[in-house]
Amino acid sequence: MFLSIKIRIKSFAIMGTLLLTLHAVAGIARYWLINSEYQQTIAGRVEVSTPLNSWKRVTEGVYLYQEGIDPYSGDMFHETPVGLYVFDWLIRNCSQWLGIIFVASDLLTAHLLYMTAKYFMVELVETENRERNSYAKDVGNILLKEKDLREAPLHVAAAYLLNPYALLSCAALTTTVFSNLCLASALLAMVSGRHILSGVFLAVATYQSLYPAVLIVPSCMYAARSFGPSKTITGKFKVFTTVGVFLISLAFILCASAKISSGWHFLNSVYGCILTVPDLRPNVGLFWYFFTEMFEHFRSLFLAAFQLNALALYVGPLSMRLRSAPFLLAEALVALAAVFRSYPSLGDIALPLALLPMWRHLFAYMQQGFIVGCFLLITSVLGPTVWHLWIYSRSANANFYFGVTLFFATAQIFLITDLLFAHIKREFSLRNGLKQEIDGKAAKLVLE
Amino acid sequence: MRPTSAFYVVYLFVNCLKFGFSEFNKDRFHEELLIKPLLGGRIYSYFQFTTIWDEEFKSESFHHCHLFPRALGEVVARHNVRELHISLTQGTWRHEKWGYPVVDAPPGAELWVWFKDDTKDVDSEWKHLTGALSGLLCASLNFIGGSNSLSPEMSFTPSGRVEDYGNGKLNSSYLKYATLPREVVCTENLTPWKKLLPCDTKIGLSTLLNAGYIYNTNYLSLGIHLKPICRDEECSTSSIELKQTVSLVYDTAIVGNGCQNWSLRSLFGRGLEGHCPLASSSMIYVDISQNTSSFAFRLDPPPDNIITTLRGGQIGQLAAYDISQMPSYPLFNLAAHHIPPSCVNLGVNIPPPLFHASRYIIGYGQERGGIVTRVYNNHRQELEVLYFENIPWFLPVYMHSLHITSNGKSIEPLKKRYKPGVERKRPYYLEILLKLPPRSVTEISFNFDYIFLKWQEYPPDANHGFYVGSAVLTTYLPYARNYTASPMDGSLIASSFNNGSKHGYIVQLRTEVLLVSLPTPDFSMPYNVICLACTVVALAFGPLHNITTKRLMLTNIQKRGALDWIRSKFWWKAKVKSD
Repeated sequence: MFLSIKIRIKSFAIMGTLLLTLHAVAGIARYWLINSEYQQTIAGRVEVSTPLNSWKRVTEGVYLYQEGIDPYSGDMFHETPVGLYVFDWLIRNCSQWLGIIFVASDLLTAHLLYMTAKYFMVELVETENRERNSYAKDVGNILLKEKDLREAPLHVAAAYLLNPYALLSCAALTTTVFSNLCLASALLAMVSGRHILSGVFLAVATYQSLYPAVLIVPSCMYAARSFGPSKTITGKFKVFTTVGVFLISLAFILCASAKISSGWHFLNSVYGCILTVPDLRPNVGLFWYFFTEMFEHFRSLFLAAFQLNALALYVGPLSMRLRSAPFLLAEALVALAAVFRSYPSLGDIALPLALLPMWRHLFAYMQQGFIVGCFLLITSVLGPTVWHLWIYSRSANANFYFGVTLFFATAQIFLITDLLFAHIKREFSLRNGLKQEIDGKAAKLVLE
Repeated sequence: MRPTSAFYVVYLFVNCLKFGFSEFNKDRFHEELLIKPLLGGRIYSYFQFTTIWDEEFKSESFHHCHLFPRALGEVVARHNVRELHISLTQGTWRHEKWGYPVVDAPPGAELWVWFKDDTKDVDSEWKHLTGALSGLLCASLNFIGGSNSLSPEMSFTPSGRVEDYGNGKLNSSYLKYATLPREVVCTENLTPWKKLLPCDTKIGLSTLLNAGYIYNTNYLSLGIHLKPICRDEECSTSSIELKQTVSLVYDTAIVGNGCQNWSLRSLFGRGLEGHCPLASSSMIYVDISQNTSSFAFRLDPPPDNIITTLRGGQIGQLAAYDISQMPSYPLFNLAAHHIPPSCVNLGVNIPPPLFHASRYIIGYGQERGGIVTRVYNNHRQELEVLYFENIPWFLPVYMHSLHITSNGKSIEPLKKRYKPGVERKRPYYLEILLKLPPRSVTEISFNFDYIFLKWQEYPPDANHGFYVGSAVLTTYLPYARNYTASPMDGSLIASSFNNGSKHGYIVQLRTEVLLVSLPTPDFSMPYNVICLACTVVALAFGPLHNITTKRLMLTNIQKRGALDWIRSKFWWKAKVKSD
């Protein structure tokens, strides 16, 4: 007994040191990149900086703001008015600390994700203990293991801190760093049962990039479970307060924005740009070439179809299917939004990728890990190569880059669907046992 | 008919005629041609056809036209125009080598119009005006719209008489400025332009404008300039002034067999038959200031008189020919013969003008670039310069990257106006007032991004690139070196001869146009792209649909070979049949 406690304490100490080392290494790497000569190159990459998050555009917007010209009257600035206000203040007062602020935000995001993972592990264990009776008898093998639970949070933090996508995104000083911070805060608030806080953070995240709005559904599901410190209030009331807080915060923040930018015309510049995709600069998403090549009279139809696909299409069905696993739902929605949003960047993709180690116990059921890994690796290398061939050597054309982005999107889609399949397969195995046989004969699992 | 009534009719008729003539006498027409040898064996010939009409600039005035072209008058009256300037140009004027032209014009088409202050909807009038002018001149002016028009605040003040200037502030929202740098100018523009002249091309100086010859030039610019002017010194009433101009720069290496000899016949293909009888004056001026001992030429026939001009400290000499005094036969042919060895005036010792500029694009690849404008001040004093930039919407500009450096030192603009552009709606507008240090080269630079357009927005030859219109630089020069423009208070070339000005000489020069090659998509791909992108969406939709609507089941594994599979298909059919 004593020994095991000692080992546990020792392992905690090791983990703490590991975590600190990770943060330090990641922080130093980010800070070095920001101050290195590569910063300009990274910031100029279309995969990292999109019209919505590039720091160059923020600088331009702030410059115009300081010159007394309305940044929303032009086409270069798509940040939110609150963002404008904050960045204006930052650039005025602590421009020499900018790098440190970005690195600190990114490290904080990683830490929030780590905390999120910790809460989620507790939740997993509680769920398993609660439902242990309904499981089949021979499932001992696939039950949660202590190692998975112990290591997952560390892996989540590592997956964010050492993720090259997150690293590049931070080094390029993209505002995705702050969107990710808000999103991570919202996720943490959600999973730790602070439903009012989750409503507020979700409102901020939605205000920044619109797509996180769908996370209100898993947030409500958490609230409805009455899982958390106060169990006195009923679930329905909590759902109501979550949605209410979300809407009120959003309304408040929008009104504040209207006050800052003296008018509502910023809506068109910020959300109009996200929804109608006027800037067809290439990025890692599906929109740019599709709407470059689109026939003009079908444009609005496909725009609506693609935006529905990114925003609303999967929310209903997935939340019904995954009602017992709201955090998996949240992960699926975040990941789908990262693939299908109109201006995705690598920073957006880094967050769902970093959350992935929370489902370590599903990895055994995932079949396409190798393919997805190869896809991601190859496209990450090929992307810049064919971009150079197209834009600089002019020996390739747009199709090459489009092909790469298609495969990049496919890889992420495979990852999401694979994870969801793994979840339902494990659920099935837990309920029906590990043996896949009918009347003693070998059988296979199919979706019917 | 009784004799008294017959007398009465005749009396009435004569009175009508009298009245009619008094109406006709309200307008005057002048035709002028200025020929000026330029450096490096080039000949600049400038035609100016001026109609001055002593009539108030009102819509009703244009109902009855005499010498003034009615077609233009109707357009002007209908769209509430106060001042109108059109230029259609082929080629770039090289200020550094050629000095300043009488009228500066950018390559392509340029149109700037001041509307009257009581115009209700300037944008719609502008749209309709450009459409009408497009028809009048057979030019693509109808492509001018909101997406390529600006209302610059400082650079384009009205050049004519301004009523109600009392408050001292011009409302530039009544000004519209646009350029079409890609516009190709050719005979289809020249023919309608010539039809606006009172004598058409039947007689007079305009007979020299033969399409076959004048398109054989380095530079060709057609212009129409309409403005209200002061009728007298007090300026209590206004007159209407219409100037139709043609600027041509010939290369004598082509027309003069390598020597700078020229004649009307070699430049225009024919001699001059006579003057336009409707013209009050028909003059040809030849600049002989350069006719010195080192570069001597002889004019044949010798000039009627030689005018010595003094303007802004510059003394010049002009040979004048009054065409109206010439007999109509034989054809008048003015020629310049050089006395060997002064065949070509290379002008090695002649310094460049006080003020000139050039512009270029920096950067490589099709991702990020910059525009640099170098402004040269060769004067020993400071010059105040207005810099106006009209950047099309497809070059998104980062104004925070604007740098103005002069001889290595950064300088701050005295005034700055900037309005960011909007994709497909409005160009980027930049106007800067600068003080150029003496004897300096000032660089104005800023960065832009290459934009990615929709596939249907690219012009037919997409890889040819997109043109970016000229920047306009305006300044007042203290000296009139190389300066030939008409003064503000005179209409004719003759009025510029002995016209000193205290305030200096306004120079407005246009830089080169730029050609930007935007990245292109593959134009043959729309169906493929739509199919492929939708496939990827389907890759997500399919499995997610399966996951959410179906449930996992265990089914029997039936190991079958290909043969079994085929048999099963047929067996199923056979079973259906037997049923």
